[in-house]
Amino acid sequence: MTLPFLPIWFFNLFGSILMIILSFVCLGKVVELKKSDESNVIWIYLFWICCGFIAFVMSRSIGHILKWHFLYSGNESMWDIIRPYTGAVNTVMFVFVASVTLFFERIWKIHQQVVKDKQKLQSTHQELLYLSQNLEKLVAERTASLAVSESKYRRIFEVSRDMILVAEKNSLIMDMNPAGYKMLGFNDMASDLKQKRFKDFFSSKADWETIISSIMEKGFIPNHEIILKRKDGSEMLSLVSGTIDHGPSGKDAPIHFIVKDIEQKRFLENQMAQTEKLASIGQLSAGIAHAMNNPLGIILGYTQLLMRDEEVGTERYADLETIEKHVKNCRSVVEDLLSVARSSPTARASVKIHEIFDEVLNFIQHHSELYHIEIEKDYDINAPPLLLNEKKTRQVLMNLILNATHAVGKSGTIRLATKYNRDNRDVTISVSDTGYGIEKKNLSRIFDPFFTTKPTGEGTGLGLSVSYGIIKNHGGHISVDSKPGKGTIFTVILPINANGMGDSP
Amino acid sequence: MIFSPDVVCAIQIHGIPEGIYVHQIAHLFFMISMGFFIHWLRHRQLVKETGWRYIQYMAFFFILWNLDVLILHLLDEQLGIIQVSLIDLTHIRIEAANGKRALEIFYYLAQLDYLFCVPALVFLNLGLSHLVAENYTQTKASNFSEKGDQ
Repeated sequence: MTLPFLPIWFFNLFGSILMIILSFVCLGKVVELKKSDESNVIWIYLFWICCGFIAFVMSRSIGHILKWHFLYSGNESMWDIIRPYTGAVNTVMFVFVASVTLFFERIWKIHQQVVKDKQKLQSTHQELLYLSQNLEKLVAERTASLAVSESKYRRIFEVSRDMILVAEKNSLIMDMNPAGYKMLGFNDMASDLKQKRFKDFFSSKADWETIISSIMEKGFIPNHEIILKRKDGSEMLSLVSGTIDHGPSGKDAPIHFIVKDIEQKRFLENQMAQTEKLASIGQLSAGIAHAMNNPLGIILGYTQLLMRDEEVGTERYADLETIEKHVKNCRSVVEDLLSVARSSPTARASVKIHEIFDEVLNFIQHHSELYHIEIEKDYDINAPPLLLNEKKTRQVLMNLILNATHAVGKSGTIRLATKYNRDNRDVTISVSDTGYGIEKKNLSRIFDPFFTTKPTGEGTGLGLSVSYGIIKNHGGHISVDSKPGKGTIFTVILPINANGMGDSP
Repeated sequence: MIFSPDVVCAIQIHGIPEGIYVHQIAHLFFMISMGFFIHWLRHRQLVKETGWRYIQYMAFFFILWNLDVLILHLLDEQLGIIQVSLIDLTHIRIEAANGKRALEIFYYLAQLDYLFCVPALVFLNLGLSHLVAENYTQTKASNFSEKGDQ
């Protein structure tokens, strides 16, 4: 079939020329890219691709131009000579370009890694640059911030009212705040606690074992009640919390303890419970006493009527006298019971407390054998007269001094003291003895009605509860402190009245 | 025999057909490598960038070109079913061995292979132009950023 040759000739000639031009333009652009970043592997890769294309294009295009030139000019033999060479070069160039192309994936990965590393390097460089320019300022800021933080936490450590203690696992004390020193009875922080162990201050070793095993197991112990021993051997009820601090390194973790002194809190709780108990007992007693008072009055009245008609000295008269005596005793008990709970105002007058003390003491000295008991008086001469019911105040002091004489026994010391507290506007009266003291288990019941440690028949158990009622009725406070074998001290605090009575001249 | 190894067939002689086979295999290799190139460009999502997308088109046109040339070589040089002769300066005679006109027309059109390889280089050129432009923008931005940091 015969076809026009011109289109083929045209496409071959101009296509070859265009290919040569385009391949060189491409090379120029790749060279531009390569110059912008000599180390960029992608640009290097494209450069080699373009080089391959140029070689291929040159070989093929020149070959084609020569081919048609020789065919047109009738020199086919010349083309037969050149043809194998251009074909071979073309083949080599195909293989070259194809081979280089197959490296694209690997080259791209390398390029990505280089870009990533470069960015990292640049970021690090910028950080370093920033640090070198601002290092001094940053260090100053960090130091100031640390100082503020340190000061803040140091202040918490120092001004805390509770003990903050840092100890090793073997309980060796590492650090303790001033409150801790004070609680344990060390007057100054210079006292060397470095070699002391926290567990040595525990009254019971079992408490320490419980605490340390809980901390080791769970990492902490919350609010465990313990008794700590002070330096002087006295005991203190405390609430301890502890946490192990593993810190950043995780080894040699110290234990942080916070210890609260709950002695005062527990004392107040007990006192509150005691007050409530006495109030309820008092109300009950008052109810019974009031109910019994009238029948006793009637019995006494009729007994006395019968005695009036009976001749003195007869057996019948003696029986009536016995009834009268026991009814009077019963009425006395009923009166005492009413005194425990009565809160109604009683007739009061200005009373000099020291005079009542002396009167009571004289009365007891006349009726008891106090020859071997030493009486010490420590009166505060500034104590002003108090607005009191004299009779009832005398009854309270009588009870307290009689109790003291019974406690002391045949020999010992009773100390009577008063102290005027100008700031609190009250007077403290104390009666102490060196007797056998009161056992701890009895201390909480000492003011209970009918509670007595005396043998049956020697005491009604109403003396202290009546005294308690009287003092409370005067707006005062009575408390007891005792150590078995060392003695007891009863303290009465009586307020100075608000209308100026009792103020010092 | 040491000085005449061909007598004992110790050396393989590369005759005329091997040249065309090597050339055809080279075309095939070129085509496959371009196929892989397109796959990687798409796999790496580089074709989202205009420059690399044009380069992808280049690879596609080179595949078409290789296919075209591969068929031409197959028809006239390997199978020898097409005979071409120049009648005069303006006409050419193409004769298929079985006389099929469609094959003769197909061979004639396939002779216009520059319709594939010229666009391939045009797309390579466009792709590189875009890469140059993007690279310029990035370098400028980077320089500006460095100056700002300082």
